[in-house]
Amino acid sequence: MISFEHIMLKVQERTLFIDASLQIRPGEKVVVRGPSGCGKSSLLKCAVGALPAAEGIIRIDGTELKSATVAGIRSRIAYIGQEPVLGADRVRDALLLPFTFKTHRDRAPAEERISRTLDQLHLSSDILDKACKRISGGEKQRIAVARALLLDKCIFLVDEVTSALDPRSRDAVMAELFQPEITLLSVSHDPEWINACDRIVEIKNRQLQEPVADFTPPGGTGTGNQKPEINNADNGGAP
Amino acid sequence: MTVDLSIASLLWMYALILVPVAIFFYLQLGIIRDTLFALIRMTAQLFLVGFYLKYVFQLNNPLVSLLWVALMLVVANLSILNKAGLKRSVFFWRLLAGVAGSTLLAGGWFILVVIRPEPIYDARYMVPIIGMILGNCLRSNVLSLERFYSGIRKNENEFTTYLMLGANLHEAVRPYLRDAIKAAVNPSVATMATMGIVSLPGMMTGQILGGAMPMEAIKYQIGIMICIFTAMVVAALVNIQLSLSVAFDDHQRLQQDIFQ
Repeated sequence: MISFEHIMLKVQERTLFIDASLQIRPGEKVVVRGPSGCGKSSLLKCAVGALPAAEGIIRIDGTELKSATVAGIRSRIAYIGQEPVLGADRVRDALLLPFTFKTHRDRAPAEERISRTLDQLHLSSDILDKACKRISGGEKQRIAVARALLLDKCIFLVDEVTSALDPRSRDAVMAELFQPEITLLSVSHDPEWINACDRIVEIKNRQLQEPVADFTPPGGTGTGNQKPEINNADNGGAP
Repeated sequence: MTVDLSIASLLWMYALILVPVAIFFYLQLGIIRDTLFALIRMTAQLFLVGFYLKYVFQLNNPLVSLLWVALMLVVANLSILNKAGLKRSVFFWRLLAGVAGSTLLAGGWFILVVIRPEPIYDARYMVPIIGMILGNCLRSNVLSLERFYSGIRKNENEFTTYLMLGANLHEAVRPYLRDAIKAAVNPSVATMATMGIVSLPGMMTGQILGGAMPMEAIKYQIGIMICIFTAMVVAALVNIQLSLSVAFDDHQRLQQDIFQ
């Protein structure tokens, strides 16, 4: 579960959110929409402690995000930013990068698992020996997704993760991230992605709101049928 | 002994500066004023140091020598912070500890273990050796700190990605730490590799001009180069490590108010 409770977020003296709340249930798929610069990406960064909330509480699976818990929370969340950074020269090293860190050192995936994950995302194993700067933007996005999948995380925060993908690759990524056990908070402009989500949240007037008039309930690819639950300033937000 | 330079000789020396000044004027570089100011400042500082060191050497008192070393450390530390663009109020004591520790470690090793002068606190050894090490540490620390923090600022997404992939702060800063240490020591590695062929180093030249035998002078030169190199590497590493706890907040985010 992801829970934002009465969040106030300022970025470079600009207030993006005031008293904004949102709860996402386990397994729920949520997409955040809003005009450019309204704070969609900042909301995701805030959830992993990359941007500090001036006020309010963020909880991940009931654990409050604070200095003592931030490392543990990050180890449970897969965050993929708008422009995925692979952080290594070779694709293989980029995929295995998290497993060089103490937290994941004893969980390095077997070669067979790596190949299978790449295959699920329509990537050939040949890509492993390529230089990261020589692969396309779409391949970079899928490598970032593959890396997150190899970490066996259940909470995904993804920012325009299909923006450079063709429909076939996008469907492959969606098939992995829309698994029932995955809780997904995403930013996307892709209609297919938006339709597949259980809920749409819009950023309006520095609040997280559920659009009423133009929201069409998800059908088909969405995994959950939970009733939307948005808690803004007027209705609290504590779990 | 060296030939003492008369006032007239010094004036001839100053006359040479007219050549670069003429070049600056011709190229309209706009740095003539700064150059002349630096020249005047250097002259004044060196004369003051000359007078002061004369008495420090005559007294040969360990407390007076240490006081001079402490002053050099404080001035070097302030200079490092200014040039690296870091706030004094945040970093002063941490960096002072790093610079002092590494300089005194390398200098102490050279004086106490290698040279072992009589008396052991002889100001003629302590002051110039610590001064040479410190001067080189200053340059390398400016380079390493500036490179380290600018690297993280320029690659904020990359740094954040490391944290999100499970790196702790020390793991996440490691790529920038590596770059910073390399930037700090690369010029010295190049200098060591060409020393004696491309350049005749300062300490050795000074000793030869002072009447020492070349073979005696090169031993000191090798010693001081190893000391400088060791102090530079240790200072660059220790200073960055000591700065981490004040430069990042409790969520491992780089604080923006630490820069000047």
